[in-house]
Order: sequence, then structure tokens, then C-alpha cells
Amino acid sequence: MSYSGKSVKRLYDDKFVTGRSTYVDDIKTNALYAGFVRSNMAHGKIKAINVDDAMKMNGVVAVFTGNELNQIIKGGIGPWTTYIDPRPWKIPLWRFAQGETKYNGEPVAMVIASDKYTAEDAVKAINVEIEPLDAVIGMDEAKQDKVLVHKELGTNFGFVGDFNAGDADKALSSADRKVEVEIANNRLIPSPMEPRGIISQYDGVNLTIWYSTQIPHFARSEFSRIFGLPESRIRVVMPDVGGGFGSKAHIIPEELAVIAASMRLGKAVRWTATRTEEMMATNSRHNVFKGEIGFKNDGTLVAIKGTLDVELGAYLTYTEGLQPTIIPPMIPGPYRVRDLAIKSRAIYTNTIPITMYRGASRPEATFIIERIISTVADELGMDDVEVRLRNLVREDQMPYTNPFGLKYDTGDYPTLLKEGVRVMEYQKMKEWAAEERKKGKKVGVGLAYYLEICGFGPYEFSETRVTDDGSVIVSIGGTPHGQGTETAIAQLVADELQIPIERIKITWGDSEAVPAGTGTYGSRTLAIAGSAAISSSRQVLEKMKRVAARSMKADVEEIDYKNGEFVHKKDGRKMTWNEVAKEAYSGREPGLSASVMLEGDVTFPYGVHMAVVEVDDYGIARVKEYRAYDDIGRVINPALAEGQVHGGGTQAVGQALYELAIINENGQLAVTYADYYVPTAVEAPKFKSYFAEKYHPSAYLTKSKGVGEASLIVGPAAIVRALEDATGKRFNKTPVTPEDILK
Amino acid sequence: MYPAQVGYYKPESLGEALDFLEKHESKIIAGGQSLIPMLKLRILNPKYLVDIGDLKELSFIREGDVISIGATTRHSELVSKRLPGAEIIQETASKVGDVQVRNMGTVGGSVSNADPSADYPAMFSALEATMVIRSKAGTREVNALDFFKGPFNTALGQSDILEQVKVKPLRGYKQVYRKIVRRAGDFALVGLALVLKANAGVVEDVRIAFTGVSDKPYRAIKAEEALRGSKLDSSSISKASEIAVEGVNPPSDSRGSSMYRKEVMKRLLRNTLEEMKDAS
Amino acid sequence: MLAEPGQRVKIKVKVNGVEYEEEVEPRKLLVDFLRENLNLTGTKIGCDTTTCGACTVLVNGKSVKSCTMLAVQANNKEVVTIEGLSTDSRLSVVQQAFKDNFALQCGFCTAGMIVQAHYILKEKKPLSEEEVRDLIHGNICRCTGYQNIVNAIMDASRRMGA
Repeated sequence: MSYSGKSVKRLYDDKFVTGRSTYVDDIKTNALYAGFVRSNMAHGKIKAINVDDAMKMNGVVAVFTGNELNQIIKGGIGPWTTYIDPRPWKIPLWRFAQGETKYNGEPVAMVIASDKYTAEDAVKAINVEIEPLDAVIGMDEAKQDKVLVHKELGTNFGFVGDFNAGDADKALSSADRKVEVEIANNRLIPSPMEPRGIISQYDGVNLTIWYSTQIPHFARSEFSRIFGLPESRIRVVMPDVGGGFGSKAHIIPEELAVIAASMRLGKAVRWTATRTEEMMATNSRHNVFKGEIGFKNDGTLVAIKGTLDVELGAYLTYTEGLQPTIIPPMIPGPYRVRDLAIKSRAIYTNTIPITMYRGASRPEATFIIERIISTVADELGMDDVEVRLRNLVREDQMPYTNPFGLKYDTGDYPTLLKEGVRVMEYQKMKEWAAEERKKGKKVGVGLAYYLEICGFGPYEFSETRVTDDGSVIVSIGGTPHGQGTETAIAQLVADELQIPIERIKITWGDSEAVPAGTGTYGSRTLAIAGSAAISSSRQVLEKMKRVAARSMKADVEEIDYKNGEFVHKKDGRKMTWNEVAKEAYSGREPGLSASVMLEGDVTFPYGVHMAVVEVDDYGIARVKEYRAYDDIGRVINPALAEGQVHGGGTQAVGQALYELAIINENGQLAVTYADYYVPTAVEAPKFKSYFAEKYHPSAYLTKSKGVGEASLIVGPAAIVRALEDATGKRFNKTPVTPEDILK
Repeated sequence: MYPAQVGYYKPESLGEALDFLEKHESKIIAGGQSLIPMLKLRILNPKYLVDIGDLKELSFIREGDVISIGATTRHSELVSKRLPGAEIIQETASKVGDVQVRNMGTVGGSVSNADPSADYPAMFSALEATMVIRSKAGTREVNALDFFKGPFNTALGQSDILEQVKVKPLRGYKQVYRKIVRRAGDFALVGLALVLKANAGVVEDVRIAFTGVSDKPYRAIKAEEALRGSKLDSSSISKASEIAVEGVNPPSDSRGSSMYRKEVMKRLLRNTLEEMKDAS
Repeated sequence: MLAEPGQRVKIKVKVNGVEYEEEVEPRKLLVDFLRENLNLTGTKIGCDTTTCGACTVLVNGKSVKSCTMLAVQANNKEVVTIEGLSTDSRLSVVQQAFKDNFALQCGFCTAGMIVQAHYILKEKKPLSEEEVRDLIHGNICRCTGYQNIVNAIMDASRRMGA
């Protein structure tokens, strides 16, 4: 019996296809509804909040401002210290707005009402007087430090760090050629289809929170710190979550206000963001790299020197601190360049705070290095494949320590490129496109390569329980929310325990049902949570062998286990799986469960993706086809892995061509899907996804690496390259708009 | 994103609706596909909604020397109906919003709403349709060119109801509606309604109307004049396309800048005329 | 029928074959009526602007976005939601095809997508992939990249004998 490697159907689809799923907003409970009054200024002094009209309305229970809420919200929202060292950072206190507002759209007052319609009526009835203060919207202006977002910090630079390796100046001066580059990703909105939501219920002692989150355990610990309650008295439950893409590993003031209100009122309070509010809750990306590169006439890249500016928005979110410290060391990517000097800066502006988004830092780094490599190719008139082969780390150099100390574990980068080019029919498609262009059509083909760092630790939890009827419940610290990882993990456990997959239930997301956990983000879950599940299952099987041995009055060494049967090696006596399980709960044994905290370290999947684009006479571009060739380690469930390539690829189409969070001169975001172009089925390409036949394993028990972010990491670079092929023009930013194309 | 409190009246007949409208500060709702989003955004806050969506007497498509389309006719009904001499109506209807919006939204609603980027206003302007307006005082007819006054502004008064749109079939005319969008289902970045009659390669009649480029449907009258009577060839097409963008000042927004829209207008007209030339 | 501002009106709606008589404010959106009054939470709310289609239901057999329809507009009409597509827990052909083709990930758009798929397959006409894409562009999915959704609808179409 082997499940791994097969496209086993997702275990829990029935509820979704029949309408029985339960997202936060679907939970029926006796709760009041929150609504928020928002600032219409990018920076201002809150002079007065007139609540009398609202308080007179039927069904309005309370109106709170920062003055009341911040008595309960003790700590501020801060960086994710598991991954972000706060010491070099300048961090403002971020609670509910009090005295001042720092961005357009910031909540400045909260309404509690009997239903959401009434809450909105009351929100509209509240008059907030805000006296404008000088605001700084653009990153370039913010860098001048003339107008400060946070006076107390003395600067708009939240972080400045130097990432130096080798001697970039020397390498530049001895390079055959030098070219200046400017490469940028504009601001995006992650846009999971389920807007964020929360229900908080405080019973005087214990706090229960139903929360659309990717990180229930971290959220519990943050709430504990912020509200000054011990973790034992906080339970965070993650129901079905309708997508996250990194945006739901992030805590916002609205959510703290909901919790604070429930504690103050002693009543359950709920809030589900409207799409408009969801769009204001999470923005992402926006970074600019400016610098110089040096290379040899044979195409060898020898030096990168430059400055990376990353926008923060008005506050430091839980996750945005990752970008300025992870982008620079990933800029060398899969290439051998060793002389780099990158100044990395993170900049506050009076705009909506920025968080991580699918790929977090690796899309940025990949876009930068792939644009650089393509620039080298263009400058020298070299082929895109050839220039990459010239620069890729060779197999004999693996494991390879990159100039910033990251250790690339396994892989054969050049061979994958050659195979990928063949399997995806890159050359054939290039020739086809050239022929089509001769006929007057604007079509193009482009590829890009990526190396991803994923499988982040520091650890993951898993517990395997065998119940008295022999069924198995695996509680994982990972928190799948659409990826289908639960099915892949059940496959692994079924193989490990040699029992039918139907007997296994995977559970996650409740901080009390699962004692510990980190969550699902960064393409880590299958590798680390899957390995933890294998490990805890292995241990429970050992316990079952001991139970069987005691029951058969034998030594554990004398017991063999195979396909659901425990067999005495010498005399052939047998106990079935179910008999052993029953025995374990007979009163003579302590039951059957085993848990692990599995430590893990990063692993590096890689691959090459290709896009085929067509541009019409109006500059409107469509990605017609998207092909991917990836080495993601061992593939446990090919269909699930493919699904990640498709989904990330369509987000890449969005980033490359359509999606742009537009903020006007008053710092106001355009907040509907009428202005923010999430791709539909018409804009989405046809996909072909391939996985390297000869994979390179990670050190994890699963031998898998990760695939959740691959297409969004490399896709924008591949699509932009295809656009260049189609138009003969050069593009160094996302999104490339029709106007850019026509210019 | 929830509407404010509002009263609701559902008349049994057009007469009842007109009576109510005269007495109360109301807004008409039919399919609601334009109105409800505005109620949700609380851009509009009428005292009453008058729901004419199910009035049978306003739901019809009549053919003949004059084609009449009742105001509450759903877009989807026009999508499945080819009207000889007014084929452009079917093509335009098929490009409104998406399937769901077309199932609910009405011709009258779209026309009365007069969104400067909507599809029907340009198309009806090209057809020089007649808008039949009913009020307590009686019936009056307004040509499409006079009906659309500005953004979300028409010849309809507070107590008027658009009853039907009348179109004279243009037999022998080539008719196309082209819509340029950034993403499927969006309002037009630029839309072009073009009807043209040619005889032996010479343009006998032509009407060119754009949407998305002005505060109301934009008829490129000078370009029409330039084409009329001339041979439809690359030179006349090119000239007309240049003339068409003279004197128009399109808006700049998330879909594109004013300059870009002008360029798209020019190219769209040129390409569409070229296709017509090649097809004849 | 007349209701003053602030007053409720009584409406009769048949939903998934069951008659309901409820009092609602005229401003109440159909989607909120279904979710709150009838506890039919399978229909989701994904945007404010009639864009995403997560709230798609059938009204008198036609697919509409229930976030852009007032409950009062559904008076005396027949509504079918995602909950009404499977009988006695037996999945419809479309539902089964979605499962078989890995056509969902987070599941939030799925109800609207499946209702829309039911609608476009009603006439059992053979559809090309391009036509399917065009007919579902009023439904946004952020997870799947649509490929498997299109595959599922084509598959369902074949299974229904189109």
C-alpha cells in the first residue's frame, strides 16, 4: 500500500462543494457587531469624535475610541520575533489610533451594535474632527526625512542594514562591463477571497477567539503579550480559512479592538471585514532596487552593488520586517556571483501598513536577480538560457554556501535548466513566436529561473493518537487553508502506519486541541509538519508494538509490524491493529498517543518557468500559456503540487500585468475590485506543470521541499521577459501596464 | 457596505408607479445592478425605492419597422435575440458586465444610470435611438443624443420613468460594438459603437460613438462627416481616426490616462474601420 | 406593497424547495437574508461591488449575485443556493466534478462557482474551454488559477451528456 506520490483526492472537499464549510462569518453565535470609523487623512491630529448621534440610534451598544480601547490593549503590534530581530529596528508603538492618525483608512473609532447594518448606520453618524498634519505619502519624499511619520523615531528609516559579501567595488572596477539597473515591484493587495474576520468572547476568565488566521498559536502568544493574559486563558480557533497568502499572518488594530471590546463589555463581539476593509487591512510588496552590476564579456556576472528600499507604510507589521533582511541574502539566487554590496533600507510613510505576501522576499529577490541576468543577456546579445548556464551554481559545488552564508542543500541547477527548456519546449516556442511576429502578431516567450528558500523552522508540532477503535487522529501545528496539505500528510501517515487513509483524520488550527504549532506559511507545511507527522506516527507505532508485546507476553524486539498486523516473529501469533488499539484502552495501558516537536531547517527548491504572452494593438497583454518545471524534492501529491503552481502562476499574472494598489496624493487607497484587477478566468493562462523526474531531496523525513510560492516567486520575471520578447521593449517593474507597453 | 434604511414601494402597474413617483422622493429600481452598489456605498440615499423590476408591461422586445425594447428587459434577453437591422444591440448586450449581471440588469436601468463608461449609451447614440419617457403628464420622446446629459445625468426628471427605447432598423449597415477592458467584466476603458453603410466602397452613412472617453457618449461627428461620401480606404480611415480624437478630453483613472485613452480611441476606430473595409 | 423607511415588509420566498415567510427591512441584501434569516451560510460574501461572484445563487433559474439584489426583490420567487444542489447528501454532477478535478483550494469561491457552473451547463450545450472561461468571469477565484475549475466544468459537461 502506498499513497505517497499519487494524486489522492482531497479528503475534506465535501463540505466546500455542498455549502457546509464554516468560515468565521458563518459561525452562529450570540455576538454584537463591530464597525469602524476611519480616518480620511494620511496624517492628522484627532481633535474630537462626536458620538452623540450614533449613541442615540436603536441597537447601538457602545462607541469606543483609542482612549478606552488602549486601556485594555496594553502592548503594541510588533514584529514576528521568531524570524525578525527587533534590535536594529526603529519601531513605533502601534495600537488603536489615539491622539493622532497616521494613515488614510486607519480606524479611529469603533461602534458596537446589534447587527452589521446598524453598525454601519452608526459609523456614518459619527463625526470625527481631524486637523491635518504634514504627511508623507511617497517613499522618495519619506527618505528625505523632512516630514516624519513618527516624530519620536527621529527618522522615517525603520531599518538600515548593509549586506556585504566579497568586494563589490573591486569586482565592479575589474568587470568588462558595467550597467546601472533600477528594478521595482509596486504595491499589491493579497486579496484572499475570504475577507478577514474575528469573533471574540470573554467570559470573565477565559478568552476565546475564532479567527481567520494562518497562525493561531502565534496569535495566541501575541494576544497574551498585548492583553496581559496568560496563554492558558486564551484559546484561538481557526475555522475554515478562505485563503491567506501571508496576509492572514498579520494582526491589525481592528482585531485588537474587537478583543478589547469583548473584554470590556463582557459580551461576544464579531467583525468581518468588507472587501473594502480587507483591501485596507493588507497591502504588500513595494520595493525598489537601484544599483550597478558588473559582468564579463562571456556573460559571467561578477558584482552587484546597490540600494534596496522597502516601503513599510505607517507602522511595522508583524511580517514586513522580513523583507529588508531576507531579500538581500537571496539576491544571488542560484548564481555564483560572490561580490555584492547591498544597502537595505525600510521606510515609513503615511500609508496603509505593508505585510508579507505569498513568497515574501523571495519574489522580490528573484525579480531583481532575474532582471539583472536578463540585462546581462541583452547587453551582450546572449541567449537567456546560455547566460544562466554560465552563471548557475554547478552540481559539484553543492551543497553551496552563498556569499551571505545561506547553505543551498541539494540540487543540480544547470541540469534542471537544460531539462526544463527541453520539456517545456522553450526553443520551439521561441521560434514559433518569432514567426508569429513576422506575421505582425505581438507574441513573446520568456523564461526565468528561481531558487527558493523555504521549509522554515524553527520547529513544528505533531501528535498522533490512535483511538480505542483503531482510528487515527493526527494533530498538526501546520494550518492548511486551501493548499490541501492535510491530504498529503494523511498520505504520509497512512504509508507510515500501513493502514487505509480513510482511517486517518488530520486536525489543526485550534490552540487547545493542538498544544503547539507555528502555522502554514512560506511553503513549509508539507516538509516540516509532514515530517513531524511521520515522526509522531512512527513513535505511536512503537508504542503499539510494546502494547502488542505485553499482551502477547513477549519482548518488543520479537514483534514485527506489517500492514495492520503485529506478528510474533517466532511463533507467528498475531494481533490486529484494532485489537492492539483496544488493548491500549483496556485500563492496563496508558492509551496511544505520541507527540513531537520536530526541529527543522530551511531547504531550497528551484525551477524554471516559462510564459507565452500576446499583446494587442492597445497594449493589453494576456498570458496565454504558463509552463513550469520544478525540482521541489519528493512530490507527495502531484495534483496538489500542480494546484499551487496554477494558483501562484495566476497571482504572478496579476502582479506582472494587472494588479496595482493605487494610492492618491492624500494617501487614500482605491478600495474596490473595480480598480484593483484580480485576474479572472479570462486573464488566467493555460498551465502545464512538470516536476523534475530525478528530484533532489530535502533533509526532512518527507524528502520534500516546498511549492506553495514557486510560481509567484518566478512568474513575474518570466512574464515580463515574455513581454519584452513580444514588444522589443524593456520593462523593469511590475505591473507593466498597457500604457507602458504602448509608450 | 450595507444600504441605509429606505422605504419600498412595489406598484402593480406603471400608472401606480408614476403616481407614487410624483408624490415621493424616490429612486426607481429594476434589476438594481447599478443602483444597489450605489446604495451599498451610500452614494445614494433615497427615501423610497420604487420597484418596477417585475412590471410585465415594461418587459418586451417588439420587432417591425421600429424596434421597441421595454425598459425592464434584461440584458440576457437581448443577448439571446438577434434583431435584424440592429444586430449591434445583441453584441453590445453580450459585453455588459458578466453573466450574472446580465441576468438581472435591465436595459432601462443601464440607460437611465448613464454611467460615462457604460455600453448601451454609446450604442444607442450610434443608432440614434429614441427614449420614450413616461410621467404623470404624459409621454415624451427624446433622442439618445439629447437624452444623455452628463455623468449619471439624463433627460429623466425626478418623477419620470423610461418606458422603452425605440430604434429604427438600419438594414444594410455593418454594425459593431468593440469594448476595450483591462480585465473581463469591467466597464470600458474605451468602447466604440460603429454603424456604417457603404456602397461600392464609398461610405454612404456612418455613425461613430464612443464610451469611456467623455462625461457622456461621445459622437465623433467630424470624423463621420469626413468619412461620409469618401471611399473607405486606408487614407480616409487614418484621417477619420485622427479627427475622431480632436476636441475630446478623456478622463484619467485606474484604467488609463487621458493620453492613453485617446490613443486607444484612435487605434480602435482605425482597426474597426479597417476590418469593415476588408470585410466588404 | 409599501413600506415606510425603517419599516419591515413581509416577503414569501421559496428557497431550495422550502417556502419561507419572513419580515425584512427593504434594504436587506438577499445574501444577508439567506445567511442570517435562513441560516444558509453556504453562499459567501467576497466583495462589495458585484465583482467576485462568491454570492451567486439561482433566482427563478437564473444565476444572479445575491449581494446585488434586495431580499424584497426575491418576493414570490424561487431561489436555489449551493445547499439546494445536492439531494440527500448526494453530490450533483458538478459538485463531484469539482472534487475529482481538484477544482477548489480554500473553498470560499466554490459555492458561487458551482452555482454558476450549474447555470451555464443547464442547457447541456457543448462548450469550448474559451466559452467556459468567458461564462465564469463573473466569479473570482484567488487560489486555483482557474485551470482545474475549467477542467471540472468541461468534465461535468461531458458527464451530463453535452
